[in-house]
Amino acid sequence: MKRFLIQRLLQLIPVLIIMTFIVFSLVYVAGDPVALMLPEEASPEDVARVQESLGLNEPFYVQYGIFLTNAVQGDFGQSYRYNQDAMSIVLERVPATMELAIASMIFATIIAIPMGIWSATRRNTFIDLFITGSSVLGKAMPNFWLGIMFILILAVNTQIFPVSGRGTFMHVVLPAITLGTAVAAEMTRLTRSNMIEILQQDYVRTAKAKGVSNGIVTYKHSFRNALIPVVTIMALQTSTLVGGAIVTEQVFAWPGIGQLLVQAVNARDMAIVQAAVFLIALLVIFINFIADVLYRLLDPRIKY
Amino acid sequence: MKDENQLLNVSNLQTHFFTENGTVPSVDGVSFQVNKGELVAIVGESGSGKSVTSLSIMGLVEDPGKIVGGDIMFEDKNLATYTNKQMRKIRGNDIAMIFQEPLTSLNPVFTIGNQLREAILQHQNVDKATAKKMSIDMLTQVGIPRADKVYNSFPHSLSGGMRQRVMIAMSLSCNPKLLIADEPTTALDVTIQAQILELMKDLVKKMDTAIILITHDLGVVAELVDRVIVMYAGQVVEQSDVFTLFKDPKHPYTKGLLDSTPKIQDLNEELISIKGTVPTPANMPEGCRFHPRCPHAMDHCISHEPQLETMENGREVRCWLFDEEVMEHERQKSGNEGTPQK
Amino acid sequence: MSQQVTPEPIPEPPVEPTPESKRRLKKSSPITRWAKLLLKSKTGTVGLFIVLVVFIVGIFADQLAPFGVNEQNYANMLAPPSWAEGGTSEHFLGTDNLGRDILSRIIYGTTISLLVGIFSVVVAGVLGMAAGLFSGYYGGWLDTITMRLVDAFLSIPNILFILVILSVLNPGILTLIFAIGVTNWVIYARLIRGEVLSVKEREYVKAAKSIGTKNMTIIRRHILPNVFSTFIVISTLSVATTIILEASLSFLGMGVQPPDVSWGYMLADGRDYLATNWWLATFPGLAITITVLGIIFLGDWLRDVLDPRSQGR
Repeated sequence: MKRFLIQRLLQLIPVLIIMTFIVFSLVYVAGDPVALMLPEEASPEDVARVQESLGLNEPFYVQYGIFLTNAVQGDFGQSYRYNQDAMSIVLERVPATMELAIASMIFATIIAIPMGIWSATRRNTFIDLFITGSSVLGKAMPNFWLGIMFILILAVNTQIFPVSGRGTFMHVVLPAITLGTAVAAEMTRLTRSNMIEILQQDYVRTAKAKGVSNGIVTYKHSFRNALIPVVTIMALQTSTLVGGAIVTEQVFAWPGIGQLLVQAVNARDMAIVQAAVFLIALLVIFINFIADVLYRLLDPRIKY
Repeated sequence: MKDENQLLNVSNLQTHFFTENGTVPSVDGVSFQVNKGELVAIVGESGSGKSVTSLSIMGLVEDPGKIVGGDIMFEDKNLATYTNKQMRKIRGNDIAMIFQEPLTSLNPVFTIGNQLREAILQHQNVDKATAKKMSIDMLTQVGIPRADKVYNSFPHSLSGGMRQRVMIAMSLSCNPKLLIADEPTTALDVTIQAQILELMKDLVKKMDTAIILITHDLGVVAELVDRVIVMYAGQVVEQSDVFTLFKDPKHPYTKGLLDSTPKIQDLNEELISIKGTVPTPANMPEGCRFHPRCPHAMDHCISHEPQLETMENGREVRCWLFDEEVMEHERQKSGNEGTPQK
Repeated sequence: MSQQVTPEPIPEPPVEPTPESKRRLKKSSPITRWAKLLLKSKTGTVGLFIVLVVFIVGIFADQLAPFGVNEQNYANMLAPPSWAEGGTSEHFLGTDNLGRDILSRIIYGTTISLLVGIFSVVVAGVLGMAAGLFSGYYGGWLDTITMRLVDAFLSIPNILFILVILSVLNPGILTLIFAIGVTNWVIYARLIRGEVLSVKEREYVKAAKSIGTKNMTIIRRHILPNVFSTFIVISTLSVATTIILEASLSFLGMGVQPPDVSWGYMLADGRDYLATNWWLATFPGLAITITVLGIIFLGDWLRDVLDPRSQGR
């Protein structure tokens, strides 16, 4: 186990390097941030001085080196809009995004797993058709539209939920469902196909031959095996989840990283863009890593 | 027909599969009996309906399959009319089953002990500690060394033979009256096959459990059972005690099966295989279902379906060759030429 | 008794209907065969129908749209759909805050969605196909580098990369196509590479190699045709995700820019009028959903036909 953990962590290094390289070179190509930082009437000397102080005259690889050293320390420079350390602004937004992501993951899981199991055990019945149909629909609906429709029906017309913002439990319900729907759709589909495969296994027949109840057959013998790939899927879905969060936060004016990032991109506040992208990528990589470890713990066949 | 000694009486069992492309009668009017403590084999090629017959008895026929006719009398209960809930009290308790693939028949994510005690906890009113004791005891009985260690290990750490021993322990843990073993040794090494058969034989004798052995391997049959039922294309074609069957097979199909089994004493002799394959229900021949492959097929066989007829010593055979009237007719027609030997 | 505890496997199924019927189908001409397979699947037929309609609308937008894309009707601003209360007969789906006809804008938006969807898939497909083919076929350091790159791209949500690119370049249709294309190639690269690795081991490829056929010829004649069905399936389904992606980016204000129109952009506009004028945001979203649904249906059907292993999943 220890060896596996170390190996797996070492594998992350090239991924991180490539990731930072891509982010950095894009910003490098973006050109001179100084023009945005200084007032328009600044003299060429002022510009040169700032460029000098930011190291912008150095060759590409030196700049990347500086960027990387700073990035490791969490230093992505100052946000020109906030006049503050970029990373600390981003970190302030983390709890909001985490709250949304966790809430929608919980929503997706409690919907998708029972639905997937239910449709697998009732294959080719009306229930199965309904569930698979809904999951295709859930994938086809853009989440921002779904969010807007929720706002229209449940917040504007009936006023059950608040239209936007963060605070109470009621605030998180609509964004979480909006963001969780696409994930739930994909999870339902995969849980179903895994369950169908596992219900055909010999050991499921053995369990039935023992005379145990349908519940034990489905939830103990089948689901435990179906769960293993589902964990991987959940990890892969974090990517979808984070991507979706950027848009969902915009719809519900949710004060998370996504909203901050969109504003920063629009304002070309590159320090914040870099810090946010770096942090999100780190988070996704970390979650995938956890899933990989969990996968091994769940399946006793894998030895270390 | 009611016999004190009788344990299972399957009569005119019909199990059909309702597929998109029509109804498939996998088991088509099968009847046989099993007495208490008796060792019976059902023999046939794949597609003969022998596995579906056993799954029908267990109530494990899955969609789109369904028992559409006949009775399965187990003691005084008709299992053919039982619901799944009622069957659960029978399965693993009164009737247990061992499957072909020991490698895949155990759930990979639970320990041996967990899976073993499950049946005990399900059917016997004991606590976990007692169930554990009983499980370990059972593992010892099937000849597993260091049973208490194996109890806590996962299936993947055991060999195929060991896993089949675990399966036997599991199936016998509730002292069933009937054990259905579906090709229990097919997936195992030849050396291990004999050990497993020996073990099964010992245990069922000791526990007075009856066995239905499903197999295509007549070598296994000769070693283990008292009586043989030969199935072909969803029907019973011959039924006899094991010695008579090997000495004097009646049905041409049984003869074919015996001829295609290698025997030690005449290794030089050529193995004869039965030509053709089991017909699919979609193109089931008219008349006798075996006639396209039968070396003795007569005109009568092409158009008339034979019935299962009882002969001397209670053996049964489904073949026109043993119908005096038909044979007389045939002899007259062909002028004694090419009389098939019995 | 009978218990269907669960559906599926028929123990010892005496007939195998599917291969039989497939064999029967193979005898007829390819077109009839495909038509038959298509009609067998209800969702496939519906999918094809939707996709055809969307294409026709997209291609003939100019002819079909009753009004110009930015044509304003000041007399009828924020008019409800013609069939709703207070609607005007000339605007079937109503008008927006500037008095523009929503139906016409959706029709013009179809063209943009298809353009972005198809061309970014082409960019991603060509890049990914090349990467997958070469890294899978040649292996070695090329493969290692490509796969590390793929890992890096996959570990980050693609919308993040696209946002970074869009923050650097000027937004617009071409930028969008480029940005989506260069981030989505990894999906193709990974799947095509996997296919190539298995095709590479087949006898005829080894035979071709042993008689000294040039690598490029082998790739073109033997490998490419074998990975093509995978390519078609991913591409089809990618168009669906790309259309949603484009709409999302346009919704965020970073995709298609006015005077061009996009469904996502219309939705962003409509959001501000949600409380009073529901039709602004509702119909563009419906257009996206129906289009994407059609493409998914068609793609799933293609996958089932081209890859029998995945049937019923």
